[in-house]
Amino acid sequence: MPDWYDSPGPIRVEGGLRARTQRGSIGSTWWSRRFVDILERVCDRGRLSRGRSYARQGQVRTIDLSPGEVVASVQGSRPDPYEVVIRIEAYGEKRWAAVEESIAQQAVHRAKLLAGEMPPEIEEVFAAMGLDLFPRDLDMECSCPDWGFPCKHLSAVLYLLAESFDDDPFLVLAWRGRTRAQLLGSLAGEPADDPLHVPDVPFADRLADFYSPGATAHRQERRPAAATGLLLRVFPPPAGLASTLAPAYERLADA
Amino acid sequence: MWTEDGLAFWAEVSGPSPTTRNTPGPTAITRFPELPSSEESPERATAEEGPESTALGTRPGPAAFEEGAEKAAVRREVKPAAGKRAGRAGRSVPVHPFAVDAAEVAAVLGLDDAPARELELLLPGSPRQPVPSPETGRAADTTRPRLRPWRVPAVVVAPVAALTVPAAHPGTATMRHWAAVSAFAHDLVRRGRVVPQLVPALPPAPTERGAGMWAVWRPVVTGVDAAYFRELALAMPPACRACGGERPSGEVLRAALEAFADAYVRRTLTEPLVARPRTTADRWLAALTGDAPACPDVPELRRQLEEWYAAVAASEGATRLCLRLLEPTDTDADADADSDSGGDGWRVELALQAADDPSLYVPAATIWSGEAPAVLPGSPERDLLAGLGRAVRLYPELDRALRTARPSELTLDTAGAFAFLRQSAPLLQAAGFGVQLPRWAGRTRLGLKLTTRTRTQSQAAASQGFGLRELVDFRVDLAVGDETISEEELAELARLKVPLVRVRGQWVELEDRQLKAALRAVESGRVGQAAAGDLLRAVVGSGDDDELPLLEVDADGVLGDLLSGQAERRLTPLPTPSGLDATLRPYQERGLAWLSFLSELGLGGVLADDMGLGKTVTTLALLVHERADAPTLLVCPMSLVGNWQREAARFAPGLRVYVHHGSGRDAAEIERADLVITTYGTAQRDLETLSRHAWRRVVCDEAQAIKNSGTLQARAVRSIQAGTRLALTGTPVENHLAELWSIMEFANPGLLGPRARFRSRFQEPIEARQDEQAAAALRRATGPFILRRVKTDKSVISDLPEKLEIKEWCPLTPEQATLYQAVVDDMLAKIDSSEGIERRGLVLSAMARLKQVCNHPAHLLKDGSRLAGRSGKLARLEQLSEEILAEGEKALLFTQYAEFGAMLQPYLAERLDRPVLWLHGGLPKKTRDRLVDRFQNDPEPMLFVLSLKAAGVGLNLTAASHVVHVDRWWNPAVEDQATDRAYRIGQRKNVQVRKLICAGTLEERVDEMIERKKALAERVVGTGEEWLTDLSTDELREVFRLTAEGVR
Repeated sequence: MPDWYDSPGPIRVEGGLRARTQRGSIGSTWWSRRFVDILERVCDRGRLSRGRSYARQGQVRTIDLSPGEVVASVQGSRPDPYEVVIRIEAYGEKRWAAVEESIAQQAVHRAKLLAGEMPPEIEEVFAAMGLDLFPRDLDMECSCPDWGFPCKHLSAVLYLLAESFDDDPFLVLAWRGRTRAQLLGSLAGEPADDPLHVPDVPFADRLADFYSPGATAHRQERRPAAATGLLLRVFPPPAGLASTLAPAYERLADA
Repeated sequence: MWTEDGLAFWAEVSGPSPTTRNTPGPTAITRFPELPSSEESPERATAEEGPESTALGTRPGPAAFEEGAEKAAVRREVKPAAGKRAGRAGRSVPVHPFAVDAAEVAAVLGLDDAPARELELLLPGSPRQPVPSPETGRAADTTRPRLRPWRVPAVVVAPVAALTVPAAHPGTATMRHWAAVSAFAHDLVRRGRVVPQLVPALPPAPTERGAGMWAVWRPVVTGVDAAYFRELALAMPPACRACGGERPSGEVLRAALEAFADAYVRRTLTEPLVARPRTTADRWLAALTGDAPACPDVPELRRQLEEWYAAVAASEGATRLCLRLLEPTDTDADADADSDSGGDGWRVELALQAADDPSLYVPAATIWSGEAPAVLPGSPERDLLAGLGRAVRLYPELDRALRTARPSELTLDTAGAFAFLRQSAPLLQAAGFGVQLPRWAGRTRLGLKLTTRTRTQSQAAASQGFGLRELVDFRVDLAVGDETISEEELAELARLKVPLVRVRGQWVELEDRQLKAALRAVESGRVGQAAAGDLLRAVVGSGDDDELPLLEVDADGVLGDLLSGQAERRLTPLPTPSGLDATLRPYQERGLAWLSFLSELGLGGVLADDMGLGKTVTTLALLVHERADAPTLLVCPMSLVGNWQREAARFAPGLRVYVHHGSGRDAAEIERADLVITTYGTAQRDLETLSRHAWRRVVCDEAQAIKNSGTLQARAVRSIQAGTRLALTGTPVENHLAELWSIMEFANPGLLGPRARFRSRFQEPIEARQDEQAAAALRRATGPFILRRVKTDKSVISDLPEKLEIKEWCPLTPEQATLYQAVVDDMLAKIDSSEGIERRGLVLSAMARLKQVCNHPAHLLKDGSRLAGRSGKLARLEQLSEEILAEGEKALLFTQYAEFGAMLQPYLAERLDRPVLWLHGGLPKKTRDRLVDRFQNDPEPMLFVLSLKAAGVGLNLTAASHVVHVDRWWNPAVEDQATDRAYRIGQRKNVQVRKLICAGTLEERVDEMIERKKALAERVVGTGEEWLTDLSTDELREVFRLTAEGVR
């Protein structure tokens, strides 16, 4: 790769987007795995990992995702950042309406979406209508003068994008034209009231029993303490933390 | 007290006047301390506190509160208020005049190097001093307190160092509250209900790289936990949230709980989560363990963790997903068929349940049809779907149900239903989902049934000489539920190879290992002969077999009576024996028959009737009934000796009673007695002497005293040989399994096996896992030997009067006796040389002082000294209260002395660890109403201490089923009026009224006078206690005289 053009190295960016993982690979979930598959077709692992080190330095200033288009700004060695654009096909209203109808046929989709998970079955829904959820090819370009393709700016953005998909599956849908909220419609509603809210008796009414309990707190019935790791199973932690945290949760049973 | 920087404790001087604190004893008799004078200088008060602050937490000593470091969001919100904190507040805020020096507080709590700080607390009080906390025993100098800021020295402790401090010093209500908060945090952590977070540090750390943020473990409080959280917040004493102003209890509690939970996790996780941190995220992980939570910010990670927390916290909101297993509804159930495979057609019904009202259960089908009741909180469709999305992670099978647009149920085959029962249901339940199983689940099992038949035709009652050595025929069958099944049926079940089978209409879970055990069992001997006693032991010990439990016993004769656990009902009641000066109630006649039946078989028993049902008179009736040659030894706590003596004299005047106790005891008397009464302490000391005698029986009263089997007293009492044993207890023994073993080991040594085996076989399964089967086995093992009737039993309640009046005699301690004598001598010396109004005044004041001595030395001395172990009456009151609370009931405790009530309330609250309310004349109406409302409506068992004058009339306290007159106002009309607070004519509820009387004192003598001429008393005594002043000096001497027998 003719690197001479950018030497003596890129201009440092204050507050750039940094890659989260500093080792290991991305693609811990099925959906980001699918995206990484595509990347690896487009550019080999080597390139991707070079993109990662670029991303690690925080050279990517911004990434904006809108239906059909990801626009990123990457700081190279020139004063003006390069613009990276990655396009896929955003589906129109008609096709989304059909997808939504199809999603509504099986509660499993909505259930998993509401539980914060991307249902694997959703790909089948798209496929059944002759649509792709994940792009087969990526239409991308970078404003840098680099001849290599994809250039390191592109691969840094691709890397960060894959990482984002790992964390938030709904970005894939948003790229295709539907946010989670749009998809779930009324179901995405407002969270309930704070269950920990307590109305207080003002001090002024407690002057005579200022040091005494105002009510009885009934000791709760204890749920079995057998499985401290349940929380992790029901609510998978973000950022690939599951395997690190699991042993810690096991030990909590002995607290 | 909760502040922003860490747990903090502060304390107040106890006692009405710091100068005379803790100087009890006879020598103090000549000067009765006054109430504290308000001009007492603050410096002096603090200086005088000195080493006496050891009282903190264990007795009516200084109040203590803590504060803890707040982290995360709450802390940030509090920051603006920091300007109000003490230290910056300026000199205008006065110093708390009775606050204890911080270094002393630290010393008492064992927190040596905890930093001291000055807090500014908002406390009610007069301009001169804050209202003291009830535990100090000091009186307020104002009846109209106002809120003012006070500067208070305190000790600040980091949460991790303070986790156990409150529980170790439970002497004040505030400390107990924080102990409960700490326990709650501990419980959340143990159940894994915490989520790691990345939050801004407080106070804001330097901006250099690698600081500025904290890694913390945040508790997740949802569902049942949220309900408990709200209760804890409502219960929080205002004093816990008065630092720097009036702070919301929810916010304070949340901050404390977060700090505690984080500390518990750090205490537990001793190994770092990452070996060598490389990234910023790793440094966050590393900061999740150890002492230093500081780490650099990782905005992306922080956002994700926040979302994670939000998802977890929102999961169990107002409703939760509920899964209900339904059996096949096959209409062609054939009751005659030996068995069938059950086929398929099992269903799991999906539903939503309200978190705070599980009875609000709405099936998914109803929700989809849009007909969900409006009372269902939240958004039902969303909650249902989100719940399903989470549940499917634990129960992948559920996915099949979600393939429709509006899932309402999951169909299962039999194997699937079994898997749900055994594996998924417990998992789902543990994760907070609602799970409902059919009634038979976990209950109806394959097991054994034992049938025994006596060989002789005479179905003899025990009294006809039938012994446990007699041979009986027995047969063992296989059984399912209450049906026996044949070998052929068993073979058929084995052939089906399904884990859920239907036997004669009943579903049964059938595991492979059970089947194998059953096949083995039918191959070995199933019919034979054995001694009744051996079979008894076999049945009692049968809980051992986990695979094939003994499900049912069908026995006749004595064995049948015994094993049924219904002997009391099967036996012919024994009428009141002649020689007993009382008429037994029908249930007492049955109790007598039961006691006599066991005695004749040489078996020990436990009479555990509710208090007030007459265990004493029933026991006396047994002695009168059997007229044994050898004496019975009765061991009881000191506080009950006088009671037994008086009850025996009253109900069984023919019994020769000897009290073996005190310095004048003479073992030679034992031979001439029918009943020997002694105390646990004396029994242990005189073990050798007592062991030399041949006893008809040993009786332990208040058998809780031997509940700890390892104590010397328990060993001593067990080692005394006797024909038979009897334990009396008013505490429901079945709730305290370790005690149950101990008591049974006394009554029937060896019957329940060694302690260790009892623990693994019964105690742990029942207490830790609520194992129904182990509980049933234990009931069967102990049932024959325990008779427990409760007041509300249909067969008992109709025999009881609506209002039961009981007198309780209590002893005086030596200290009380000395004080009593001093007061009497003092009065008699002065009275001769006085007359008229002066004489009346002397008599009345002496009488008041004597009654105070009877209550407690500290009541007379008013010196704020410790209460425990110094008053026989208080000891008895404590015992009674314990029993009442253990029965889950409420009691009113009346005293005519407000100052004594003020002493009782904090003392009992600490000792009993239950709510103790206190109503006196100084309370504003709003507060009274709130107390009465709480007493009437809170289901928690509790005590209500009331000043007779403030509460004698007008209040409606019908939630009480017990009334105790702690001291006497010798005016039946006044006492009855007070009693009527709990008792309403026409209301079908039994109320027990107890009057505490110190034996050998004027309390007993005046009571006798009233009893002797009850009709007269109404008139004479009607005006109060004035009539006593008209007695001659000789009469007074007689009334006030202290007789030795009352002293312990």
